[in-house]
Amino acid sequence: MTLTIAKRELTSLFFSPIAYVVLVAFAIGSSIFFLQSFAPGNPATMRPTYDAVVWLLVFLAPAISMRLISEELRSGTFERLMTSPVSDAQVVMGKWLGAFAFFCVMLAPLAVHAIVLELVGSPEIGPIVTGLLGLALVGALYLAIGIFASAWSQNQIIAFLLTVFIIAIPTFAAYYAGGQTIPDPTIDRLIGYISVNQQFADFAKGLIDIRNFVYFLSGTALFLFLAVLLVQSRRWR
Amino acid sequence: MIVAEHLVKRYGPVLAVDDLCFEIPAGEVVGFLGPNGAGKSTTIRMLTGFLPPSAGRCTIDGIDVIQDSRAARQKIGYLPESTPLYTEMRVTEYLHFCGRLFGMSRVERNKRIDAVTERCGLSHNKRRVIGHLSKGNRQRVGIAQALLHEPPVLILDEPTSGLDPQQTLAFRDLVAELRGQHTVMLSSHILPEIERSADRVIIIAGGKIVAQGTPAELRDRASRGGAVVVEAIATPKQMTDLLQPLKGVAGVKPEAIGNRCRATVSAKADADLRGPIAEALTKAGHTILELRLDAPTLERYFVEAVAEQVSEGVPA
Repeated sequence: MTLTIAKRELTSLFFSPIAYVVLVAFAIGSSIFFLQSFAPGNPATMRPTYDAVVWLLVFLAPAISMRLISEELRSGTFERLMTSPVSDAQVVMGKWLGAFAFFCVMLAPLAVHAIVLELVGSPEIGPIVTGLLGLALVGALYLAIGIFASAWSQNQIIAFLLTVFIIAIPTFAAYYAGGQTIPDPTIDRLIGYISVNQQFADFAKGLIDIRNFVYFLSGTALFLFLAVLLVQSRRWR
Repeated sequence: MIVAEHLVKRYGPVLAVDDLCFEIPAGEVVGFLGPNGAGKSTTIRMLTGFLPPSAGRCTIDGIDVIQDSRAARQKIGYLPESTPLYTEMRVTEYLHFCGRLFGMSRVERNKRIDAVTERCGLSHNKRRVIGHLSKGNRQRVGIAQALLHEPPVLILDEPTSGLDPQQTLAFRDLVAELRGQHTVMLSSHILPEIERSADRVIIIAGGKIVAQGTPAELRDRASRGGAVVVEAIATPKQMTDLLQPLKGVAGVKPEAIGNRCRATVSAKADADLRGPIAEALTKAGHTILELRLDAPTLERYFVEAVAEQVSEGVPA
């Protein structure tokens, strides 16, 4: 059931113009970042590309997720979906999975960059793979935040802005705060902990740390759970 | 099959559905009628488990729609109001998707999709993208989707809106075929559409049932106290003089047409005036050319029932 919904979501994403805008924007953006560090004499690594690309996701992931539930609320198809014998969790999971599959397709240009790097130099494969894994985890988290925001409103723009706003806290805010001198070491560490970019940095370096996994997976699970609650609340509102 | 017990739905301070009770036995086709904003769609959304009732409960085939929601939903084929569909999908693609949601196997789906597209007149449009179909054809896709998993209960919210007269006729035939195999609930604000298809009609206004019964019963009720139209060879004066004194006559409105006279005789209360009028005219030696009850349409009953409800000050 979940997979049925995921499959439909993925197919319908490819029918929406926004999907192509996102695909093209990512391909161009990631290529620019890649070419900036792609010069003779530079180390053969994807790390600078990854570190830059992760900022791109702050805007591109919400563009993918904004329509997930909003669009169905607006068109009324949500009523048909929710009166089918499927659970609220299946609907949310299915939609998130479909969007996540699309997100992974979007990352494809990075594989091309890695192959180019492999052809002209001899990069370490490990960090390239862990970096991609890290980006996938960042995407999983952002899309979970996105589907939660999408369940709030039948207006996609509101869903988009709400998602960017929530994502801005562990990215822009944490980045800004990280640059300040904070006297209290606990708060300083906390800011470092919630920072998506810091959590991701280890993956880009080639490190696989269980703590980073816990951060992304628990965050994803939390927002998916909140999204299910929000969808369910319709039943007792 | 469909039971609603004291259903209430409040949207904030607005009372959309007010203590609604009804029961639809298996195999019956019921028309659910009311003006726009009467609470039809709200009631239907509660029956299908999309909206929770503020109070009361409803069951489908004995299964509580809220307690055991998914089991109840499995038994319902539902066409929501204004037929929401995924416009980017092809007809068969969409039907496959719906079939999967209801847990149908591939073999089952293929068989049923052929059957329902045939039945709904979609055979030629199977491969087309839903967004490119006409309103009438989209409506058919919606109906096909509701029939797909052979649900015992069919709930169709305004199934004929957007259909042209010929498609409406075809829809009526379809409902006639479904009678007996499915329990059908049709909503509409257009009475004649329902009058012909339904075994029973429930009329609601302001969130309350204002009348229910078979179309014949309602028509009978509507005709009681109704007027009689009589045409005879007589002058208007003769006609008034003869008919006005009859027992139960409230008024006579004569109208001369050549040497004939056509009169509309209104009655007091429940009196049926046809007998006495015929007798009186014959005795006086006037030839009766026509004598009939003034077309007691359900439409009129509907309008009256709703007007009564509204005049009682119930918010519509």
